Amino acid sequence: MAVATDRELLERWRSEPAPLLPLLHAFHERDGFVTEDALRAISRGLRTPLADLFGTVTFYHHLAREPGGAGAARVCTGLICRLNGAVELLERMRAEGAKAMPCSGGCDDPVHVLVGDDVLVGTAAGTLERRPALLPPLNPGDSRECVFSHIRTDDRARIDVYEDTGGYEALKNAVRDLTPQQVIEIIAASGLNGRGGAGFHTGTKWKLVAEAPGEPKTIVCNADEGEPGCFKDRVVMDYDPHAVIEGMALAAYATGATRGFIYLRYEYPRALVILENAIAEARQAGYLGESVLGTGSRFEIYVRRGAGAYICGEEGALLNSLEGRHPFPRNRPPFPVTRGYENKPTVVNNVETLAAAAHIVRNGADWYQSLGIGHHAGTKIVSLSGDIQRPGNYEVPLGFPLRTLLDDWAGGARPRRAIQAVTMAGLSGGFLVGSHLDITLDEPSLRSRGLFLGAGGIMVFDDSRDMIEMAHAAMEFFVAESCGKCFPCRIGTQRLEERLAGRAGPSDLGPWLDEVNDIGRTMKAISACGLGTAAPLISESLVKYFPEQVERHVRRSRDETATLKR
Amino acid sequence: MIMSNPDRKLQKMVIDGVEIDYTPGETIYQIADRSGKHIPTLCNDPRLEPFGGCRLCVVEVDGSSNPVASCTTKATPGMVVRTNTDCLEEYRRVLLELLVSENREIDVDTLRGYASQEFAELVDRYDARSGRFVGVRSGRSRTDDDNPFILRDYDLCISCYRCVRVCAEREGDYAISVMNRGFRTQITTEFEGLLADSACTFCGQCIQTCPTGALADRKAISAAELQGAVEKTRTVCPYCGVGCSVDILTKGDTIVGVHPAMDGPANLGALCVKGQFAFDFVQHQDRLSAPLVRGEDGELHETDWDTALDRAAAGFSDVVANHGRHSVYAVASGRAPNEAAYILQKFMRAGWGTNHIDNCSRA
Ligand SMILES: Cc1cc2nc3c(=O)[nH]c(=O)nc-3n(C[C@H](O)[C@H](O)[C@H](O)COP(=O)(O)O)c2cc1C
Ligand code: SF4
Ligand code: SF4
Ligand code: SF4
Ligand code: FES
Repeated sequence: MAVATDRELLERWRSEPAPLLPLLHAFHERDGFVTEDALRAISRGLRTPLADLFGTVTFYHHLAREPGGAGAARVCTGLICRLNGAVELLERMRAEGAKAMPCSGGCDDPVHVLVGDDVLVGTAAGTLERRPALLPPLNPGDSRECVFSHIRTDDRARIDVYEDTGGYEALKNAVRDLTPQQVIEIIAASGLNGRGGAGFHTGTKWKLVAEAPGEPKTIVCNADEGEPGCFKDRVVMDYDPHAVIEGMALAAYATGATRGFIYLRYEYPRALVILENAIAEARQAGYLGESVLGTGSRFEIYVRRGAGAYICGEEGALLNSLEGRHPFPRNRPPFPVTRGYENKPTVVNNVETLAAAAHIVRNGADWYQSLGIGHHAGTKIVSLSGDIQRPGNYEVPLGFPLRTLLDDWAGGARPRRAIQAVTMAGLSGGFLVGSHLDITLDEPSLRSRGLFLGAGGIMVFDDSRDMIEMAHAAMEFFVAESCGKCFPCRIGTQRLEERLAGRAGPSDLGPWLDEVNDIGRTMKAISACGLGTAAPLISESLVKYFPEQVERHVRRSRDETATLKR
Repeated sequence: MIMSNPDRKLQKMVIDGVEIDYTPGETIYQIADRSGKHIPTLCNDPRLEPFGGCRLCVVEVDGSSNPVASCTTKATPGMVVRTNTDCLEEYRRVLLELLVSENREIDVDTLRGYASQEFAELVDRYDARSGRFVGVRSGRSRTDDDNPFILRDYDLCISCYRCVRVCAEREGDYAISVMNRGFRTQITTEFEGLLADSACTFCGQCIQTCPTGALADRKAISAAELQGAVEKTRTVCPYCGVGCSVDILTKGDTIVGVHPAMDGPANLGALCVKGQFAFDFVQHQDRLSAPLVRGEDGELHETDWDTALDRAAAGFSDVVANHGRHSVYAVASGRAPNEAAYILQKFMRAGWGTNHIDNCSRA
């Protein structure tokens, strides 16, 4: 096959919405890296200033700027993969040009490695194996599930199998029997809140978009899943992609949106293929396209692959990234519901939220409500990883005790070990220890303790782990991912990381704590987005729950510096 | 029934306990600023879109759990805002200490640029040179960029992106942008090249909005060692018909630089490369200081004014007498004072009766 010319690539994408990312990927793959000539061609083709384009390309982790970089293997060096030998594996693979990548959402089966578009599982010994993504472990209680209720069915990603278990009935019923307002009312009454981290009431979000002036409206499925320790959206897309598409189509029907994007993190190449197949099947079957189910209303879904940037999960940055701008978060208000993609009303919803919405419209608001414990509505998927017997994705009823999840469902700590700490909200909720683990998983009870469930990632560290090291690895992640828009986070993450590494900072405990606390307090209060407000929870909880380890760390750093000076 | 447009009606809000009227659409910062509050800012340039990056401008708003950036937040009816509580002042001080820690410390000469003292003044106001938060520095000065106009001393840069935004929003050149992310952020041209190889027109606006002196006027700072205080004289740039207001900077009798007038009605702080940098002809050693006339030998010879003027008058009269009044033509120099340009057109129109008069720089 002849290699595509610049002109062909530009022609292919220029008339599509959100063309920059796919164009960059196309040139990246064709040339093995992003060449200067490619950027000049794209700059001319899209009428984007070259300096802006260059700056934006440097923002993304996976866009290589030296020959051959595009094909290099990538080894996840996220916290959980590190516990499983990622650093050793990376060292072995460096000779062949392998590079590190931050947590890539494979914590249930570490070490996560990408070679081209192949997803592999590696070990410290250097072995690499191709094996299918893990399905959620069977739910050991008899608690009812929503999003996972059919996910273990064989070939669920195929449209006929999906339809066999009632798939797309929600959409058909809605289009036939319900007004858009009624769909919104069902979602609102179900009590479904966003599952991407911020927990905004989904029915209200859809209503705001339905009522906002401005066309065309857009549904964005946030599949960036960048939070370390979160891999739930991946399993939903890998095994139940039509649920996501149906959820998006319902959101489109409810709000009057005519176009949809799935913004998929770079590190999920399998999901990319699966989603594209599923979208083609759904178009073929009339669930998407120029006239959805013969209604005359249009709804198309485009998959856009990210290029490696945690901040692109933040909705404003995501929208900027789609639009081909520098992916800084946007100032809010205005929110995406009134000014989203191309400044038009936009729903941004997480994968899990949209998949749940399809089930809710099918089974009713009361059904969803009843899945939760007591007055808590519905379920939440928790991605559990680290030092635990059975890591994986668990769909728990809201209001569920954390201890039961850890000990009964997931088998507790490894033999002869005890759980030392767990994280909340991936890395964005800091560490939790001891009696604080006696909580139930639902936002009200968590928020009352200054905690939050976020996207539902929980990493477990047993008593063999050095918590300073864990906290440092976490802060390294935030340093690497801070976008650089705002001062407190840009400098604060760096200074906290240096102190946790023992590379800089006061040598006496008092002033050390003062600095760490002052930085943390300031970041939490005045950072421009959720990354900067969350990052210091790591240092804050470390200092609070592990005072002896902190004291030892400060003393050791001082002694090491003293030795160095001598 | 005629409804009044609610968007146009003045609304009320409270800042630091005082009720204030505002026009819907105004930001908290704008309202506070015109009420005489000195909310600190570093990423703010009133001519640019609010950016919300420095977070110094945060204020407390009733009903909001965290402080909000006043520069990006629009006032709403009945909003209650506090601009200078102890808590806010503490955040601001910590932020400034953090900023001090990321940069090389120098005394920033005022000749570096119009806004070059903003950062230093805030650091002094908050007494933020505490030496805390030591760690690696972030800047990377481009000592290799030897263009004659702009010193790119990014060791002092605090990543406020005012330069990038002024270049895009005011100059429309998009010559510079932000590369990398987080603490590794740098200001760059395409492919990290030199300004001369980029889309830069050397308008100098990035220099003049830079709050740290990281971008500096190379020509002006070459006069840093010159004795004397810097004085400013407001005038209008003579180079073209736009009429940009400028402040000429002098030390004693020497012109050392030009600042665009931020309140200049035609330019609001903008200039082009000529208005900004092309001032040194005034004191240039090649400049004529005595009249010259061409002799029989074809060479120019120094002479006195009377001789020179007689020669010129004879020349003009000769041509007009032989070929009519429209046979003479004058081009005023953009480097001559405005008064001279005026006199020259008077000379042509009233003196010779022709409209054949132009100026060398018609932008
Ligand atoms: C730093 C940061 C990263 C985020 N990453 C994600 C993400 O990967 N996926 C996601 O769905 N939401 C993410 N969010 C939350 C989104 O901004 C947004 O709230 C969410 O997508 C809305 O969907 P929901 O209401 O269905 O949860 C992130 C937020 C922040 C501040
Ligand atoms: S908090 Fe961090 S990630 Fe968010 S805008 Fe500020 S610098 Fe960017
Ligand atoms: S001198 Fe003018 S054109 Fe050049 S980078 Fe600065 S603002 Fe842009
Ligand atoms: S060079 Fe100056 S204006 Fe530009 S980002 Fe740095 S400090 Fe701000
Ligand atoms: S002036 Fe508001 S954040 Fe900088």
